Amino acid sequence: MEDGEIDEGAMVVDDEDAQSAVQLKIERSAHEMLQESKASVEDTVAKILSIKKEGQPKSLVRELVTQMFLHFITLRQANRSILLEEDRVKAETERAKAPVDFTTLQLHNLMYEKNHYVKAIKACKDFRSKYPDIELVSEEEFFRDAPEDIKGKTLSKDSRHDLMLKRLHFELFQRKELCKLHEKLELQKKKLLDAIANRKKFLSSLPSHLKSLKKASLPVQNQLGVLHTKKLKQHHLAELLPPPLYVIYSEFLAQKEAFCENMDLEIVGSLKDAQAFARQQANKDTGISTNVESSRLEDDAPDEEDDGQRRRKRPKRVPSKENLDQEGLYQVHPLKTILHIYDDEVSDLKSAKLITLKFEYLLKLNAVCVGIEGSHDGSENNILCNLFPDDAGIELPHQAAKLAVGDALTFDEKRTSRPYKWAQHLAGIDFLPEMSPLLTSHGAPSGETAKSDAVISGLSLYRQQNRIQTVVQRIRSRKKAQLALVAQLDLLMKLRWPAVTCESVPWALHNPVCNLHGWSTVGHQSIQALSLPVVETEQVRESIDADMNGRSGTSKEELESAREDGELPSLVPSASVTGDVKLNRLKGSNHEHSRQLTLISKSLVPPISKTKSQSFKKPDDDLDLMLDTDSDQDGPAYIELESENTATQYYEMGEKSWVNYGAKEFCLVLTRNMDTDQRIWKLEAKVNLHILKMLPVDQENYILSHQVCYLAMLFDYFVDESSPSSEKRRGISVVDVGLSKPVSGRLLARSFRGRDRRKMISWKDTECNSGYPY
Amino acid sequence: MCGDATNWDEDAYRESILKEREIRTRTVFRTVWAPSQNPNPDAIVVASSDGSLASYSISSCISKLRYGFNNTRSQHFLVAEPQFFLQGHDGPAYDIKFYGHGEDTLLLSCGDDGRIRGWRWKEFTNSDVPIPLQGNQVKPVLDLANPQHKGPWGALSPIPENNSIDVNMKGGSIFSASGDSCAYCWDVETGKIKTVFKGHSDYLHCIVARNTANQVITGSEDGTARIWDCKSGKCIQVIDPAENTKLKGFFSCVSCIALDGSESWLACGRGRSLSIWNLPASECVSRISTRASVQDVLFEDNQILAVGAEPLLSRFAINGAVLSQIQCAPLSAFSVSIHPSGVTAVGGYGGLVDAISEFGSHLCTFRCKCV
Repeated sequence: MEDGEIDEGAMVVDDEDAQSAVQLKIERSAHEMLQESKASVEDTVAKILSIKKEGQPKSLVRELVTQMFLHFITLRQANRSILLEEDRVKAETERAKAPVDFTTLQLHNLMYEKNHYVKAIKACKDFRSKYPDIELVSEEEFFRDAPEDIKGKTLSKDSRHDLMLKRLHFELFQRKELCKLHEKLELQKKKLLDAIANRKKFLSSLPSHLKSLKKASLPVQNQLGVLHTKKLKQHHLAELLPPPLYVIYSEFLAQKEAFCENMDLEIVGSLKDAQAFARQQANKDTGISTNVESSRLEDDAPDEEDDGQRRRKRPKRVPSKENLDQEGLYQVHPLKTILHIYDDEVSDLKSAKLITLKFEYLLKLNAVCVGIEGSHDGSENNILCNLFPDDAGIELPHQAAKLAVGDALTFDEKRTSRPYKWAQHLAGIDFLPEMSPLLTSHGAPSGETAKSDAVISGLSLYRQQNRIQTVVQRIRSRKKAQLALVAQLDLLMKLRWPAVTCESVPWALHNPVCNLHGWSTVGHQSIQALSLPVVETEQVRESIDADMNGRSGTSKEELESAREDGELPSLVPSASVTGDVKLNRLKGSNHEHSRQLTLISKSLVPPISKTKSQSFKKPDDDLDLMLDTDSDQDGPAYIELESENTATQYYEMGEKSWVNYGAKEFCLVLTRNMDTDQRIWKLEAKVNLHILKMLPVDQENYILSHQVCYLAMLFDYFVDESSPSSEKRRGISVVDVGLSKPVSGRLLARSFRGRDRRKMISWKDTECNSGYPY
Repeated sequence: MCGDATNWDEDAYRESILKEREIRTRTVFRTVWAPSQNPNPDAIVVASSDGSLASYSISSCISKLRYGFNNTRSQHFLVAEPQFFLQGHDGPAYDIKFYGHGEDTLLLSCGDDGRIRGWRWKEFTNSDVPIPLQGNQVKPVLDLANPQHKGPWGALSPIPENNSIDVNMKGGSIFSASGDSCAYCWDVETGKIKTVFKGHSDYLHCIVARNTANQVITGSEDGTARIWDCKSGKCIQVIDPAENTKLKGFFSCVSCIALDGSESWLACGRGRSLSIWNLPASECVSRISTRASVQDVLFEDNQILAVGAEPLLSRFAINGAVLSQIQCAPLSAFSVSIHPSGVTAVGGYGGLVDAISEFGSHLCTFRCKCV
């Protein structure tokens, strides 16, 4: 339509064009005319001007003016034709414009209609359903799962809409189902919750039940020897032990379990104190707030408060007493390890308990102390002294500790537990790190690994060296020796011959003829005699002389020297002499005991008693319970002595003091109604040294008995041999009975030999004879 | 030390204890000053009860003494290292003598094993073997063993010990006092017994050669001393120091005898008495009774030095007067010897040797070390 219209218009335009082309021709000619006229006008004007300038005559101008007028007329004509042409073109344009306007209007109408439709379509398209977000199951699922009654229904003509509706229906159906299920489950859950609550209630009541059960089972456990509960408790305590005690505990436990050692371990002390202490330690050392610690030891939260009080108290106390008072110095860790050692020779099921040791840790001095539980004997009777050479326990093991103690060089004498060196070795103080295991367990910094390496290697060395085993063995043998010794001393105190069981030595079978007349401790008088410094040799002389005189010249002393005892200078003789002189006067028997005077004595008048001083070194070692007449020096005596003597002597003492530590001296008096003339000289070497070589190892604990018996035997022999006539040398001749004639040659028997006149005794089967050979 | 709990060696500890005891209970039987050009006393040769012969230097002992060390009162004697050491005998070594002069000097010793052994002295003085190896390093040039007695059916008695020796350098002989109650005269060149002096009824303690008269004098356990003629081997005189004394019931031996420089005075220690005899006159000049039995005696000019079973060195005049008594270290002294310079050495029980200067002060006291 439009095209047609446009075509029509175009045709119209064409018509007009044709017309206008004509017009244009005219017009153009008009324009050309105008152009020409103008040019000729200008020419003419120019000519006029030139004439005027040249001053040519005006005649010429006239002509020119006519011409000019002519040209003006042409000009006007051209102008008129142009204007006419213009009017005509305008009218034609007016005519052509009307159809164009009409078509334009039509177009606009159509466009409007179109836009309206488009808008409607868009509105339809943009329509949202009520449940746009409902997540539906996919179509396949729907077809698969939906029940027929939903699928079969037709709800709408449109298939897609129908499908959609069906799916929605299905969804609704499904959801309703699920809701029902949910409700059911909720119900079930509630039921279950109830059940759980019930059981929880039961569980919460269970520990108390168990506890009561445990309590009830304790006697049974004890009865059956299954100390489970106790063990657990001990392990818990062990965690709180200071590292040295921990090492002792763990290593002893390991030793016990690995080698079935007959010993028991336990930890005693207040758990709460230990916990408080550990916490305090942690605070002091690392500055970590208590919460780490307390989370670890949460079980006693209420303790926190009074712990805090204690903490506040303590620092107050320390600065107030600047001069480290003893109390603080010997501050002991609240926990202690107790070790019971049993006899290792199992005679019956319950072997006898030998000894109980208590290990405690001195915090300030960083030293482990050992004492015998339940014994408050003086240090002289302490068998732990000198368990190893030079370890009397009166000196602190570490230099640092010594510095801390300051002036008081030695450890407090009054304490029963001492810091022996072996205890430090047992505690592994030589390799322990500075920090306690409590601290290292959390927040281990980088340097920790190296440290723990050192500890591990230290421990392995520790085990290689069998420290535990060594110490336990030593303690055992020491204790047994002590028991044996006490038994022997008891016998001697009662003046009965000690029994000697070993058959392989002569003196065991010898029946002593002499009597045990006296057995007394010599040592204790020594303290009062200590103050005699230089003159004592004179005193000795005098006292002896007095003795001699008192005996009207006929009787002389039987002197037995306290020679040998190489440890103590000068005070020993004085001590023992004073003691003995007293004894002499009391008993009226002339026994003398002196170091200066060696022996040799004669007497014609019976009765005569002979003194043999016996002593033994107890703390030194049970093995060298040798017969040497040494002195009794207990601790305090030593100190007195040192203060009185000169510096050089002090030095000498310090060197050897541990050997004499706690040694005791006894005085043995053997009597017989005979006299003797003898040197007892060699006897000492024999009794001391060779007796040890002769005895089997298992008799070691009975050395004292052996020595006493041996002495008695020797005494008998000396007495027997001492009468002058018996000194004759005896020769033996043998008669051959078969041939009834004497055999040529004889052998001599002799009783003495050598420059020192050693007495010879031969031992045949079960009895001994004086002299050799027969 | 033998370690502590960390490294315990019980056997070693036991060993060390026994060893210490052993050292303490040893006896020095003879101390002899070694011959030397040096006029000051230096080397002293010690025979002790473990059979060892060892030489100690007095000067080095003195230098080792601690400052302010009070010898007489202290029990901790210096333990001296020997200059040389020789395991001379099995059992105790009893006596030492030097034989010869100069380069050829022999060190003679006798002991409980019944042997007399001789070593070249210069081998010791020039020896540079370390001490612990010296035990048997030097071989004896002389080794004489006592004869054994025949018993029934040819049984042999034990070898008797030699308690004392003396020498006659001119005659080339060694005299030994033996345990079989005989004295023997040995020829040094051949090593054979030249003469047997038989007559004592018990074993001999001491022997002294009276070379000017070609006699020997012996002291015996039987309580008598005898003078023998070397040529004939016969007993010329029996000296019984106990005769005329009232101590009838008591019996003791002649443990030591000594002759003075002129060989006309004899000191004879018998039990707890010391008797001085004038030999030309054969009579007892004086009798000294001592507190303990006399164990060694010595003439120094006109004085007599005696030691015995007490820690005293006594000095007597010929007439029996006590001139001085000096405390010495060994509780029982078995030997006293004097150096020409006047320094006395006393050896005895405990392995102790005490060197006492001519003025009576203690030069040094030391304990012989067991090697």
